[in-house]
Amino acid sequence: MTDTMLEVRNLKVAFPCVGGVIRAVEGIDLTTKRGECVALVGESGCGKSVTALSIMKLLRTPPSVSRIDTLQLDGRDLTHLTERDMERVRGKDMAMIFQDAMTALNPVMTVGKQIDEVYRRHTKLGRKESRRRTVRALELVGVPEARSRADSYPHELSGGMRQRVLIALAFACMPKLIIADEPTTSLDVTIQAQVLDVLKSMQQDHGVSALLITHDLSVVANMADTVYVMYSGKIAERGTVFELFTNPLHPYTRGLLASVPKLSDDKQVFVQIPDTVPHPMHKPEGCYFHPRCSHATNRCEQRMPRLEALEDGREIRCWHPLGQVSEL
Amino acid sequence: MSATGNRLHSDPLLEMSGVSVDFPVKRAYPFSKRRWIQAVTDVSLQIAEGETFSIVGESGCGKSTLANAMIGMVRPTAGTVRFQGDDLYALRPRAFKDARRNMQMIFQDPFSSLNPRFTVYDIIREPLYIRGGISEADMQRKVLDLLRLVGLDEEDLRRNPSDFSGGQRQRIGIARAIILNPRFLVCDEPVSGLDVSVHAQILNLLMEIQRDRNLTYVFISHNLAVVKNISQNVLVMYLGKVMEAGASDALFANPLHPYTKALLSAVLDVDVQGSHDRILLKGDTPSPIDPPKGCRFWQRCPFAMKGCRTIPAELTEVESGHRVACHRVSGFSSEQRAAGLHRPVSESVEDEDLSSQAG
Repeated sequence: MTDTMLEVRNLKVAFPCVGGVIRAVEGIDLTTKRGECVALVGESGCGKSVTALSIMKLLRTPPSVSRIDTLQLDGRDLTHLTERDMERVRGKDMAMIFQDAMTALNPVMTVGKQIDEVYRRHTKLGRKESRRRTVRALELVGVPEARSRADSYPHELSGGMRQRVLIALAFACMPKLIIADEPTTSLDVTIQAQVLDVLKSMQQDHGVSALLITHDLSVVANMADTVYVMYSGKIAERGTVFELFTNPLHPYTRGLLASVPKLSDDKQVFVQIPDTVPHPMHKPEGCYFHPRCSHATNRCEQRMPRLEALEDGREIRCWHPLGQVSEL
Repeated sequence: MSATGNRLHSDPLLEMSGVSVDFPVKRAYPFSKRRWIQAVTDVSLQIAEGETFSIVGESGCGKSTLANAMIGMVRPTAGTVRFQGDDLYALRPRAFKDARRNMQMIFQDPFSSLNPRFTVYDIIREPLYIRGGISEADMQRKVLDLLRLVGLDEEDLRRNPSDFSGGQRQRIGIARAIILNPRFLVCDEPVSGLDVSVHAQILNLLMEIQRDRNLTYVFISHNLAVVKNISQNVLVMYLGKVMEAGASDALFANPLHPYTKALLSAVLDVDVQGSHDRILLKGDTPSPIDPPKGCRFWQRCPFAMKGCRTIPAELTEVESGHRVACHRVSGFSSEQRAAGLHRPVSESVEDEDLSSQAG
């Protein structure tokens, strides 16, 4: 048994379209250890969701063109699996929690039925036993009165409850890997705290590996073990949560950290990263981040830095990594 | 009573007294009893010129309805709204329209609040166009000035909203809201649909505009960390009622209501070193149809007492301008204590009542 749950090597995804090619993901390596929660952080349009979909092999060709050197789940090679075989993997070995529960759930089917489906599809359980498990799955994620709730339709549930149903759905077969794509973005802070709590305890109690995709570093701080910061299709920095948050090396990481509104702040002005993510069809020369970077030099404008591995397992793609930060 | 501790010593720009908004629920059967959603119940507040007034609470607590009542979009079932000294809902149609021009809104979802078939120019000039009395050339100049002010380019004028990111769309929405030079701007969760990294950009832009034009903001949010440093006054709402209100400094320095504390502790931080003791609220906000009789928060309150179930908590002033509606703060009378109303709610009772509410 290996220690690695998910291994992705050199994932590239592009979308050819009128007027050019959109390079959404440009060669990403990702590793998730058994039972670990790995976060993939970045702004909208940086390619994090495309990465998630590629790992689930949910991207259609066309429109997308993708290449991947290695895609292994628990030592099993998924690169060459047919769609049929992949259907057996999805939901059973790895499952996904989508951002918008209202669109992810079928509006004309009760939530119980939707969870039953997972059991009927992936196990040999009968109808009664499936329903029993469904109710238990709902109870596990803290849905009150799970038995009657299983007979409600998605629109009858609140946002937080729907998100719990999605979590129950993903954890139904206790997969090896959960991919959570912005699981709490559309929720209120109080409900976000509840849902993250549920997600974390489910993940830890059952030793499931998780890939958490988010733009919100405060979510990462509370959930993840290892963090990959993604910018415009490339990994900008990687490190453990503690290292990355206490000592961010990439100016982008530092900017992201500073932009989270904090209760301890006393400043009237919010720290901001200027400008926005470059259009994926017109990425700048050199380092993609240089037009927004306060430390950019000539070299940054000309050449893209390599992702350098540091001695303590961290990786950084920057010509001018920041030193130890005293105050943040 | 003053909600804001009127610091400008002048008449407030907007004043609400005893405002309630109820919506009828569609009847299941023609002769069944009509039921009402009590979206907002008995809210009084004063907003001074030039300040930022924040309304905080979870989804469904009535904060958007309250804001809509402020700007004349929803007629309150009870109470009055005074804008610039006039009773907004008693104005004649003409004067009402004039007042409305001084109040604008920025919406939460920058995707659904911009017409996808309009160009940016069409969107921003629409309010001017509707008001009329301005030449096309003047209109163009004005739109262009505003576009630059919010950080977009001239070449963006002819593009459609779909060409822009969420942050840029929100900038377009801001330009549209300020083109008539309003005095009063309601920002309904202007950043919650955006990336965290873009929050700061939009908030800074809003603050800059406020400084330049002496605008009065009503800022709606569910995240207390966002409103902390930009607002002078904060109102915390739960299920249509005010739980706590006061000057921002006082409220954040000394939050008294358990709900305010829970909201504060739900804010996630990027601090990975410290340990967090969270007050996690159980369950969701109950339905505003037939809300709980006593304190509206008691079912989710970790400190609920027996009396909280039946006796509504009145807003009481604890320090100048800082008001709280909580029995723990105001206390029970001696007779009520004798009846055991100050004892904690026992678990079994809570569960039973919760389930009847949820059903």
